[in-house]
Amino acid sequence: MSRFLPKTILRWVSISFLGLIFVLTTNSMLRADEEETASPAPAADEQLPSDDLAAGKIIYEKRCISCHGDEGDGDGPAAIRFQPKPRSFKKAEFKYRSTPRDMLPTDDDLFSAVTHGLPGTGMPDWADVLNEKKRRQVIKYIKTFSPKWQELSGSLPTVTVGEPIPSSEESIKKGREQFELLGCIGCHGNQGRGDGPLALVLKNHRNDPVFPRNLNKNWLFRGGGEAKDIYMRVNTGLNGTPMPSFADKLDNEKSWHLANYVRSLSPKQGKPDRGSLIKSHRVEGTLPTDPDDPLWEGAQQSWLPMLGQISFRKRLFTPTVTDITVKSLFNDNEIGFLLVWDDRSMSKAKPAKKKRPERFSDKVAIQFPEKLEPGGMKKPYFIMGDEKLGVNLWYWNAEENQIVESNSRGILNEEVFQDASDVSGKGYYKDGQYRVVMKRTFETVDKEKDIQFKIGEFFPIAFHAMDGTNGENKTQRAITPWYFVFMEPEIDKTVYFYPPVVVVAVFGLEILLQKILKKMHKESD
Amino acid sequence: MRIPLIAKALGLEIGAYLLLKLGMPLITSPLPSSVIFMYMTLVTISIVLYVSIYEDDYNNFFVPIAAFIRGGKGESAARKLSRAAVFILIPLFFGFRSYQGIQINFEPPFPQRVIHPAPPGSAAGFMNPYGDDKNHREEYIQEGRKVFYENCVFCHGDKLDGKGFFAEALNVKPANFADATTISMLQESFVFWRVKTGGIGLPEESTPWDSAMPRWELILSEEERWKAIMFLYDYTGFKPRTWELGSDE
Repeated sequence: MSRFLPKTILRWVSISFLGLIFVLTTNSMLRADEEETASPAPAADEQLPSDDLAAGKIIYEKRCISCHGDEGDGDGPAAIRFQPKPRSFKKAEFKYRSTPRDMLPTDDDLFSAVTHGLPGTGMPDWADVLNEKKRRQVIKYIKTFSPKWQELSGSLPTVTVGEPIPSSEESIKKGREQFELLGCIGCHGNQGRGDGPLALVLKNHRNDPVFPRNLNKNWLFRGGGEAKDIYMRVNTGLNGTPMPSFADKLDNEKSWHLANYVRSLSPKQGKPDRGSLIKSHRVEGTLPTDPDDPLWEGAQQSWLPMLGQISFRKRLFTPTVTDITVKSLFNDNEIGFLLVWDDRSMSKAKPAKKKRPERFSDKVAIQFPEKLEPGGMKKPYFIMGDEKLGVNLWYWNAEENQIVESNSRGILNEEVFQDASDVSGKGYYKDGQYRVVMKRTFETVDKEKDIQFKIGEFFPIAFHAMDGTNGENKTQRAITPWYFVFMEPEIDKTVYFYPPVVVVAVFGLEILLQKILKKMHKESD
Repeated sequence: MRIPLIAKALGLEIGAYLLLKLGMPLITSPLPSSVIFMYMTLVTISIVLYVSIYEDDYNNFFVPIAAFIRGGKGESAARKLSRAAVFILIPLFFGFRSYQGIQINFEPPFPQRVIHPAPPGSAAGFMNPYGDDKNHREEYIQEGRKVFYENCVFCHGDKLDGKGFFAEALNVKPANFADATTISMLQESFVFWRVKTGGIGLPEESTPWDSAMPRWELILSEEERWKAIMFLYDYTGFKPRTWELGSDE
């Protein structure tokens, strides 16, 4: 009994001690979160009147007015900087419908647009904010802006999507024939990248420029990117735009073939997965400068969405290049990049004339920091560096098919172009797409101004694209944030050497321990 | 029936691990493996201390283990087999760990980004000069709405949910004002500082080089910025965080 008491106490002391350490350390880790928990509850959603029209008006004035305007004319404050412009409910020219060309849309068409939004435009999907009842109420309200709805008598005829024909090589081939026969190429271009000969001169019902869809990016099709949606578009046309309805020239079969062909122009999965790390691929011998060299096929492809440079004046709210695809190769002393992006025209630099603003050559750029910061964490500001940390840019100019290098310390500061470039490469434009190669040796003479590459390290990398026809130049460019490019070192041979050594050593220790224990046991006997 | 001490110790070790690995994420965010390792070391040390303080515990704990390692005459085949298994598996485990250790890590540097950093001294004490003017409140909010839809909507979105047109292209995602963990947790003064100096004005722990938030003082007037902030709070129904009454500061 005398031993019992202190032993219990000791046990409790050790357990409490452990508990105390646990609570203290956990608590200090959680404190940061705790400090941020006191948030006021949001105001309850507005009480809506029972009358649908009155409720719709309140919803409209909170959710829609900023783009579609006080009077529904599509002239809210957001209108000045969005391309395409918000719809005018006054004019009631709706593009995405199930009704024949030049007719009003059905309520379900409007409901679908409000519910799913219009991809690639400022119109979001409202389903998470507005329940079905509210969406129906606001649709009822927007129909008050145009007298066309009152003049409507009877129900609207709709285009029906007939018995589907599944996609196949044969169907796609027949679809291509329709594509050529119906003159789709005139606007959408030979490969459907929205680069046809008429691409730059089309106007909509407001006499604003309107651009044919790039059919290679079905995730940006406003009315849906699957074959059934395309079927609908070619049979309904887009009101207020030059896109006609081909209903009189297409039967169900031809409609499906055409839809299958157009669908086949985009990747099977639709929108590609966004790239993160650009892994460079090791090859033997010299790196290719030809964008079509088969060596590129072995490299991993990274799809990177772009945004307009809207942080510094002069800003670009409507870039035409929405994404860029990047591949990289390296050998013992060079690294190379293949850049592929779509552009609806090959721009030629031209001074401003009368109404037409100045045009520039199309350009693409790869941006690196001038130097890697120790630890690899710190970087120059992603939009062309900052006062403290500069960036090194490689530009390819389409009109001259030439590469120049520059250094920048902030987009508002003077960009300094280097006298000669160490970067070589070339590119070309075909069917609405640029393919450009740029490559350089790991090391250069000017170690202050040029990034010095090394295998096995992560280098920040970003991309810029400029569509000169869209007036893009200098601060007005499509950009990406920083990514990393990485050249994988060859596998270290020690990977195969040390683990077996460890296995043998640990086993030896085990045997040694066993021997000692045996010896001790014998001695104690 | 008494549970053998070895089983108790083993149970405690495994139980502690499961609690840290699976139990903690239910209460808070998952613990980093280094923290789990630290706790497990403490648990192991405590168990070893516990079983080695008294001789009877010591005998109950270590003697069977020693006997197992040592082996002896007249053992069952199962016991021999399990000893062989332990003798082989332990070296293999260490061999595997060393292989993992040598292998090159292909993960790019990943910054632990602080989302709401402590603002610098220069960021304190911004007061909204339009906040108390009840008569013109609605007017100011409408002006703020205009500013938002001409400048901010492209990233922060029509629904103020941070899913604007350009958001997908960005790595540091635009703030979601409709979420209860953004503007409602922040003081107006802090929000004003973030709008004024933008991403580039953040301290280093918040990776200013990655933030696309413009330095709005270059583009918008002070008046426009305050009114835009008023619009954010009005649209979402949140209130800026304020120091509670009676507090020292």
